[in-house]
Amino acid sequence: MKGLNLRSIGLSLLAPVIAIVVSVLVTSLVIAAVGSSPGDFWSAMFSNPLPRLRVNIVNQTAIIYIAAVAAAIGFRMNLFNIGLEGQYTLASYAAAAFAGGAYLSGFANVLVSILIAIAVGAAWAGIAGVLKTTRGVSEVISTIMLNSIAIFLVGYLLNRYGVHEGNSVHTTRLADGSTLTGFTPYLPRDGQIWALSVLAVIVGIGFWVLLNKTHFGFDLRASGMSSTAAVASGINPNRMIITAMMLSGGVAGLIWLPALFGGATSYGTSFQSGLGFLGISVALLGRNRPLGMLFGAVLFAFLNSQSNTLTFSTDISPSIVQITEGVAVLAVVVAFEVVRRWRARLEQRVVGREHAVATEVTA
Amino acid sequence: MTQGTDAVELRGIGKSFPGVIANHDVDLTIRPGTVHALIGENGAGKSTLMKILYGVQRPDEGTIRINGEDVVLKSPTDAIEHGIGMVFQHFMLADNLTVLENLVLGAEKLHGIGDDARAEISRISDRFGFGLKPDELVEKLGVADRQRLEIAKVLYRGAKIIILDEPTAVLVPQEVDSLFANLRELRDAGNSILFISHKLDEVLAIADDITVMRRGTTVGSADPKTATKRQLAELMVGSELPSPETGESTVTDTVELTLSDVTLTDEFGRNLLSDISLSIRRGEVLGIAGVEGNGQSELVEMIMGMRIPSSGHITLGSEDVTHWHTRRLREAGIGYIPEDRQRHGLLLDAPLWENRMLGHQTEAPNAKGPWINRAGARKDTQRIMTEYDVRAPSIDTPSRALSGGNQQKLIVGREMSGDPSLLIASHPTRGVDVGAQAAIWDQIKKARRAGLAVLLVSADLDELIGLSDTIQVILRGRFVGTFEPSSVTPQDLGAAMTGGEAA
Amino acid sequence: MRRLTKLSAVTAVAALALAGCGGSSGGSDGGSGNKPSASKDICKTAKGSGPKIGLAYDVGGRGDQSFNDSAYAGLAKAVKAFKATCVEGEATDGEAESAREDRLRQMADGGATAVVGVGFAYSDAVNAVAPDYPKVNFAIVDGFDPDTKANANVAYLTFAANEGSYLVGVAAAEKSKSGQIGFVGGVHNDLIKGFEAGYTAGAKAAKPSIKVDVAYIQESDLKGFADPAGGKAAATGEFDKGADVVYAAAGASGSGAFDAAVAAGAGKWAIGVDSDQYLTATAAQKPHILTSALKRVDTATYDFIKSVNDGKPATSYTTYNLKNDGVGYSTSGGFVDDIKSDIDGYKAKIISGDITVPTKP
Repeated sequence: MKGLNLRSIGLSLLAPVIAIVVSVLVTSLVIAAVGSSPGDFWSAMFSNPLPRLRVNIVNQTAIIYIAAVAAAIGFRMNLFNIGLEGQYTLASYAAAAFAGGAYLSGFANVLVSILIAIAVGAAWAGIAGVLKTTRGVSEVISTIMLNSIAIFLVGYLLNRYGVHEGNSVHTTRLADGSTLTGFTPYLPRDGQIWALSVLAVIVGIGFWVLLNKTHFGFDLRASGMSSTAAVASGINPNRMIITAMMLSGGVAGLIWLPALFGGATSYGTSFQSGLGFLGISVALLGRNRPLGMLFGAVLFAFLNSQSNTLTFSTDISPSIVQITEGVAVLAVVVAFEVVRRWRARLEQRVVGREHAVATEVTA
Repeated sequence: MTQGTDAVELRGIGKSFPGVIANHDVDLTIRPGTVHALIGENGAGKSTLMKILYGVQRPDEGTIRINGEDVVLKSPTDAIEHGIGMVFQHFMLADNLTVLENLVLGAEKLHGIGDDARAEISRISDRFGFGLKPDELVEKLGVADRQRLEIAKVLYRGAKIIILDEPTAVLVPQEVDSLFANLRELRDAGNSILFISHKLDEVLAIADDITVMRRGTTVGSADPKTATKRQLAELMVGSELPSPETGESTVTDTVELTLSDVTLTDEFGRNLLSDISLSIRRGEVLGIAGVEGNGQSELVEMIMGMRIPSSGHITLGSEDVTHWHTRRLREAGIGYIPEDRQRHGLLLDAPLWENRMLGHQTEAPNAKGPWINRAGARKDTQRIMTEYDVRAPSIDTPSRALSGGNQQKLIVGREMSGDPSLLIASHPTRGVDVGAQAAIWDQIKKARRAGLAVLLVSADLDELIGLSDTIQVILRGRFVGTFEPSSVTPQDLGAAMTGGEAA
Repeated sequence: MRRLTKLSAVTAVAALALAGCGGSSGGSDGGSGNKPSASKDICKTAKGSGPKIGLAYDVGGRGDQSFNDSAYAGLAKAVKAFKATCVEGEATDGEAESAREDRLRQMADGGATAVVGVGFAYSDAVNAVAPDYPKVNFAIVDGFDPDTKANANVAYLTFAANEGSYLVGVAAAEKSKSGQIGFVGGVHNDLIKGFEAGYTAGAKAAKPSIKVDVAYIQESDLKGFADPAGGKAAATGEFDKGADVVYAAAGASGSGAFDAAVAAGAGKWAIGVDSDQYLTATAAQKPHILTSALKRVDTATYDFIKSVNDGKPATSYTTYNLKNDGVGYSTSGGFVDDIKSDIDGYKAKIISGDITVPTKP
């Protein structure tokens, strides 16, 4: 029994180890193939980051992590919400427009804006949920389409109602009372860790508690493991789909808020796009586990923040970083699937042996 | 009769999956130029066996001999090379391609895709009277034509041994007749056909030999010229197993579950269940007998709230629960042992203690309000494992790793927890070993004495007779007869199940 | 099985999304072999004793044969003229605002005394960074000061792009046989709307009956400047509807519009933007490039570096227009030689103030 435990720990570490080795190997090969030095790459990427980059890494980790959790909520029940991008774009715009309007002051403004972001993200994701339950439209297709619609919709609203300034357009900037002072670990010029980065902590703990401590979380995981068993156990599949979709979208709505209230102060050129897809990648990388995704978010934030350093200290294109990230995700998914199959075969053999012994005894 | 070697000879075939022994000690011989029927209830191991013969799965033990030669079939490609073809119940055709294109798809090397292929198709079609038009679009074809196309596909690939998986399940009676005409032509041309079914009339009409499977193994063979449906039914459901004895009646006067004139329709408005009425009192076991596919699953799913009846009323205790959904019904005290434990009863990759919660995740001791009570669930899992003799390394073992019997004992233990007032048990001992079977019977009897009302659906007539206080026979979605277990024999039940005629 | 299929679909989407960033900038050099390779990069070889210059490109980067390349041309000229050295960095699609700031800070920390942000998207970043580096001079092409606190060490280099677009609008209208012309904008923002306004006004001035189709690749997403496939789709749509000249004000996406003109066949024209795109186009595209609306980012970049080198760094706003040759049109290929006098006539009227070119459509 001890041996089995040791072996199962070994097995669960096998997949990540394979994935890391493969992605390091592939990245190095690509760099060598274009005639640069892989050694330079790795030493630049894993050089000790400057203080301001450390701040950036923390901030980016926070928002990437929120995005990953949003993706994971759906993934845990085999619901593939590819629409995080649209959900958080629309939610960020709505929150920024509301907060900039200064209908409320101070912290109340922040709080209500957060609620608006959650509501908008949830509603946009809910459309895909309703389409799936009432019309059987695959959420993968509908959310991809809703992404385009959301991005164009925001562009239209921004052009129409935004503040045009110079060559750019943005929502009304926040009043001073509505920005949140973060934590300044180094010199002021090295930047602050956004106050709302704490949302990532709340979302991460909330996700863990929801999954492991509530029967709703149990329903969610059960639906993901076996939809048939879930139905037989009394879970209403349609309600689960809509709830999970809206929960995922609601969390997605939070993605960019730390940046909005931490320094961007308006939705415009400083809006960071692409976090929705990044979140999906990180959720895959972290196997939808709260801690796994934290590791993934740190890794991605680290790699992305170091890519400027890469440009200035080597002749390697920063695009290589994206190759590394993509390969890491693919390697993790493939490695886990391979190990899972191998493990299933192993189990089957064990059961087969036990059965053989049992029949001998009875015979 | 035997001319030379046998077309197929299976000896001692065994195959286990985690938690299930699908086949063991299977012997089957198909003579060349015959239609050989393989019959058995669902779950008897027929489909695993034919997947083994078609190279989809590899047996753990035993030998396969084709035309006298020992072979190892690693894939369907191997099987096709040895002249074995299979027609699945669900057709594998591309709707937007023509008959010709579907036929040559994946077999372009044989006769190309042009005139040679066309000539070969015409030859096959004319030879066996299939009436296929090479340029017709498959989406325009009816079910029977599609089936003929599937058969033509395997012939085109050179098959001499053809496996047909429940081919009549999708056909209306006239189509069945013409299928049989085609099959006879094929047989007379020297092909061997393995015909899988549980429809006894059809088997007797077409087969030259019959082999019966039960509980994963071949239990006997019959000669269709002399066998009766009753004899076949007996072989299929078995009667030599240790019989469960209920002892004296514990039936009370309190009615726990009532169905009055309940009708269930499918999405096309066809009746799946018609005017079903029943009542189960506390301490009573109501057995439902019937040939698989006559509405038993639908009846269970309807009582469990997974399907909502289109008319009629269901009453639990004193409440009208006609429109209640599963969770509310479970919370109201219904225990449920589903017919397919792996698909409906377990989370295979979750540990045992989480499986203990499945279906009861909102109830004590698993939950407190919206929160999971992990400690409570784990402690109670330990209790179930002791009381119900579930043999597993620990409560953290994934349920996938357990044998079928232990999986089922866990489910029974779970569903008996929390003092249910009604137990819906679908094939509670299917696919479990003899020891687990006896243990499960004991548990059901014990609960019955304690006043539990039980609806028992089973394909095992001895189980039904031994455990039930009353037996209802279901045929095509209707109750067609009520029997007293004390006086009924498996033969009587078999007759009622197949349409009432006493053969 | 179904689960696995779905999972692989999602993985593919994720991988594509990641690769998309690299892919779009890679796509921009698909049209031409002229992209300067790393070894030709002047910053790799310059070893002068003059000032050190930092150049931060916008999305699309060097090799877009348009906006960013034009800035590089100005940089290369300045490096040669002042024996300067230089460092470069490039924005990626979807990067954080902090990454843009960090790029500028790394340049300043690395000893650059003149730092140019190419594109208005650097406005906020420069505004945040400049106060921390009072000894470094910053410039933003197309930039503006987002707040009321004036920065003493920042120059905002703006262009009357509507004036250059007006002239190519004249050319388009006079060359059009179908009486219908098209406009493809990269992103539907105020900057590109200025291009559209000038183009339309010029076309109507030359031929009042002309019909102008307008399409934008993206509503607000900056990746519209690095999406040749999107540019091709938009331009193809306009050619299909009957336009025979299409003006692509879309950065690196413009090469897609050129391909669309090639596919549309003889007699169909495309108009380039920012730099003289005839010079960098493929052999197949060249016969279809009527002219280019020049936006002399190279001049502006060079002028700014020169001012820093001269010890009199430019600050505040400088506008480049027809008058100071900051915008214009190109004649390479000789396709507009026959109407050059017409175009120059309009040009003179704009310079003299007789024609006021609108900035909004």
